[in-house]
Amino acid sequence: MAVYRRGYQRYQGPLTGYWARFLVAPRFAWERLFQQRQVVILLVGAMIWPLFCAVFIYLANHSELWAGLGGGFKNFLEVNGKFFLVFMNAQAVFAVLLAALAGPGLIASDLANNALPLYFSRPMSRPDYVLARLLVLIGMLSLVTWIPGAALFFMQVGMAGRGWFSENWRLGVGVVAGFLIWVLIVSLVALACSAYVRWRVVAGGLVLGFFFVLGGVAKMVNTVFRVEWGSVLSPTAAMYQIWCDMLDVETPLGLNTAECIGTLVVLGVLLVVVLERKLRPVEVIS
Amino acid sequence: MTTAEVIFDDISKFYGEVLGVNRVSLRIPPGITSLVGPNGSGKTTLMNLLTGLILPDRGSISVLGVSPRDPETMMRFTGYATQYDAAPRWATGFEFITTGLLLFGCSRAEAEEKAWKALEWVSMTEAAHRKVAAYSKGMRQRVRLAQAIAHNPQVLVLDEPLNGLDPLVRAETIALFRAWAAEGRHVILSSHVLQEVDVISDQVILIANGMIVAEGEIRGVREEIHDHPSQFVIRCRDASRIAALLFNEDHVTEIKLNDDRQGMLVLTKDREQFARALSRIALAGHEIDGVVPADENVDALYEYLIGGGR
Amino acid sequence: MTATISFRARQACTIARVELRRAFFSKRSFWVYLLALFPAVVFIGHGIEAKIDRQRWSAKGFTPAALLDGIKQGETSEAVRGRLGTPVSDEKWDHRRRVLREGSGKDSEPRVWEEKREQRRRLTYFDGRRRADLWFENGVLRSKSIRPLLNLEEDRQVFAGLFQYFYLRLAIFFGCLGIFMNLFRGDMLDKTLHFWFLAPIRREVLLLGKYAAGLVAAVVIFTGGALLCFAAMLWPHDPGEVQVYWQASGLSHAFWYAAAAALGCVGYGSVFLAAGLLLRNPIVPAATLLLWEAINGFLPATLQKVSVLYYLQSLCPIPAPMDNSAPAFIRMLLSPAEPASHFWSVAGLLALTALVLVVAARASRRIEISYSTE
Ligand SMILES: Nc1ncnc2c1ncn2[C@@H]1O[C@H](COP(=O)(O)OP(=O)(O)OP(=O)(O)O)[C@@H](O)[C@H]1O
Ligand SMILES: [Mg+2]
Repeated sequence: MAVYRRGYQRYQGPLTGYWARFLVAPRFAWERLFQQRQVVILLVGAMIWPLFCAVFIYLANHSELWAGLGGGFKNFLEVNGKFFLVFMNAQAVFAVLLAALAGPGLIASDLANNALPLYFSRPMSRPDYVLARLLVLIGMLSLVTWIPGAALFFMQVGMAGRGWFSENWRLGVGVVAGFLIWVLIVSLVALACSAYVRWRVVAGGLVLGFFFVLGGVAKMVNTVFRVEWGSVLSPTAAMYQIWCDMLDVETPLGLNTAECIGTLVVLGVLLVVVLERKLRPVEVIS
Repeated sequence: MTTAEVIFDDISKFYGEVLGVNRVSLRIPPGITSLVGPNGSGKTTLMNLLTGLILPDRGSISVLGVSPRDPETMMRFTGYATQYDAAPRWATGFEFITTGLLLFGCSRAEAEEKAWKALEWVSMTEAAHRKVAAYSKGMRQRVRLAQAIAHNPQVLVLDEPLNGLDPLVRAETIALFRAWAAEGRHVILSSHVLQEVDVISDQVILIANGMIVAEGEIRGVREEIHDHPSQFVIRCRDASRIAALLFNEDHVTEIKLNDDRQGMLVLTKDREQFARALSRIALAGHEIDGVVPADENVDALYEYLIGGGR
Repeated sequence: MTATISFRARQACTIARVELRRAFFSKRSFWVYLLALFPAVVFIGHGIEAKIDRQRWSAKGFTPAALLDGIKQGETSEAVRGRLGTPVSDEKWDHRRRVLREGSGKDSEPRVWEEKREQRRRLTYFDGRRRADLWFENGVLRSKSIRPLLNLEEDRQVFAGLFQYFYLRLAIFFGCLGIFMNLFRGDMLDKTLHFWFLAPIRREVLLLGKYAAGLVAAVVIFTGGALLCFAAMLWPHDPGEVQVYWQASGLSHAFWYAAAAALGCVGYGSVFLAAGLLLRNPIVPAATLLLWEAINGFLPATLQKVSVLYYLQSLCPIPAPMDNSAPAFIRMLLSPAEPASHFWSVAGLLALTALVLVVAARASRRIEISYSTE
């Protein structure tokens, strides 16, 4: 009985295309996310401020509506770097809240229920998995960040004309690129936190705590050493400084932009390392 | 002797809208008692109720006269190996059992001695000093068994204890259960497989959809449900013809023809009338190769009691 | 065998020992240690920096104090250097930014951006006790700060602020959240809580045992951290000055800081233990609590008293300096309630804790094992 001859043979038939396979995970995850009531409420809430901003842009471009109101108003109603900076700040907060709410469900429950072997027994590698999860978050956070940002920018371009665009195209690039960096950082933080604690609700708290505590740490360093560079330790402050630079706005922080970029890069690398170490289908217990 | 029994009195448990168990009343005497039922029938629910891990919505439970709401007294003489395949991440198998025993008020030396003995019972001494979280499934199963019996309980509750054990260990474990029951203790275990526990149990409780379908010895159970149709397998040449004849009889409720038309399964409400009818048919010249009762074995019983209940 | 008090106490000790090992040595506690010890590390860093600066600058010679005080706004860097001599440190860097060109963008003129380059420079002088930092923009003095290299009075204020804003609000809050929530919820997550329930112990004893373990761990870590930080704050200062302070009020300050940290663990610990036991999603109340404690300062005085932080702040020996980066109108809104007396603070906190623990104990009797719904 030469049973051993019929050894295992791996599947050699055709596979679906890489991207089709890759997109399976986000597709279903999005569907699930939008079924959560809290997520939808938060998403809707995040749209209020962009609407206000749209009204602002409309007013700014229709001076006839407030012509009688004097000059101070004119300075206030100007669509410039500061305007976009204020807009970005508000949306950045929503991005963090959304990530804290929706992010942990993506990875923590997979780890807690030992679902990773299930993914990796399909033609999907570990980086694929992380990228797919990242894509889910980035996609969702985009809805509240650079997409409304770009929409506002083009609304302003449409109303103010080409001349404005050729003078201020940097603002558009700044808004989109600045938001993309932030979204990437926030998503990475959310994924790393949930991979680290494997517990959905605590991971959500950890995401918030991460930004809170680092803000506190930065402030502490500043007061004890009587310096300003401590703010670099807070990703929020570092990001703010980079945005200010992109949007040509003077900052009160007095940070060095290169250092800020450095901090964010280091932070990103650390988060990736956490993901690489914690996202394993089996854990060796010693 | 009321206090020597485990008593469920009209117990109901709902998980939200999902039925766990419904109006269960049971008296379980010492000896090996097996809870048998398909997945989701409520075996674990019953055992968790018995040990106080969950609380009933209705009714009361008494374990040798003590309520599960008083774990301090009850868990002294009760051991439970759950179905949850988990163990503390921090502990080795030996520490895990020792810590449990310390809570009984044992001194450390005493606890270690008892823990070692329990590990010997389940042949786990070799891996005793490795982390439980690093054990294989069967090893974890055994260490949980050891944890349940380490304090010599009077009532031993085991949820699917034979699951995941290799044949050798399985035989040893069954022998252990027998020895415990012989000392007059309660051994209550659960299984999906009736044959597996049929031979070792003093008593079987069949459960489906959260309700007790039958209890007692297998044979006794069979007799109790006398109004249930008996099943016979008939082997013959001309099956469709005989089927037509049998169908005229009042007591025959159902006939299933085999695909090969060489036999059939007959359900009848009355064995004696069925026997007479058969002899009439045979006398009329129809050839019948054999008649076998189909439900004397446990499978058929299980199929009938539980399959029908779904 | 009837269970006596001492038997139950022994059981609680056994539980506490097991849990303590987990609280102190599990990998996750690393973060709790980091939270607790980071402030001390920062103060030590500050001390080392000051000592090194003093040593290096002393070697370069002192600038007379009167000259330092005579520097005026608008002087050029060369003039200052000429008068005061070589500074102990001299840094130059370029600052670039894009600005609108003068006159462009006005009326219908198109806007033209141009890169503006500024030369910035910082000169530092040292008179043996004070350092003077002078910032120049394009060679003209823009701002200056003259302050003692090490100032005990100021450092004590910094410590007071740090203790209240960072230590109590963030470190102890999140640390206790981590430690105490883990006690029950962690077991549920690991699917091991039933092992405790299957031992012959009353649920109340289990609760107390776990609480005791969490409390010992938290108090040791955070009180230790606070005292270490206090010591680190004093360390670089002149021993004579420290001696005077220590004899006058230092000892009692240290005591009350330690007490506030310990009581913070007691209070927050019980709240998080109960939250972990009662609620499926404890993050929502935790966030609510954090928010409540954060906006606490803006509330009317009576409402302020309904928070752990109020009592803890009443225990702190020095009121925290107001955060002066906060906008003025926010600072106006802050109306700190009259602090409670020490006795009432301690009593209030202990009463709150006892109440929460009683509620938790009653709830623990109704806890059911249900791992599937995590
Ligand atoms: N924690 C829970 N929450 C909700 N429903 C539950 C829970 N535990 C059990 N149930 C439901 O109660 C019913 C009985 O479950 P139980 O675990 O007792 O079945 P079982 O007989 O032990 O099944 P198995 O053989 O698969 O172990 C099932 O319908 C199950 O879905
Ligand atoms: Mg079960």
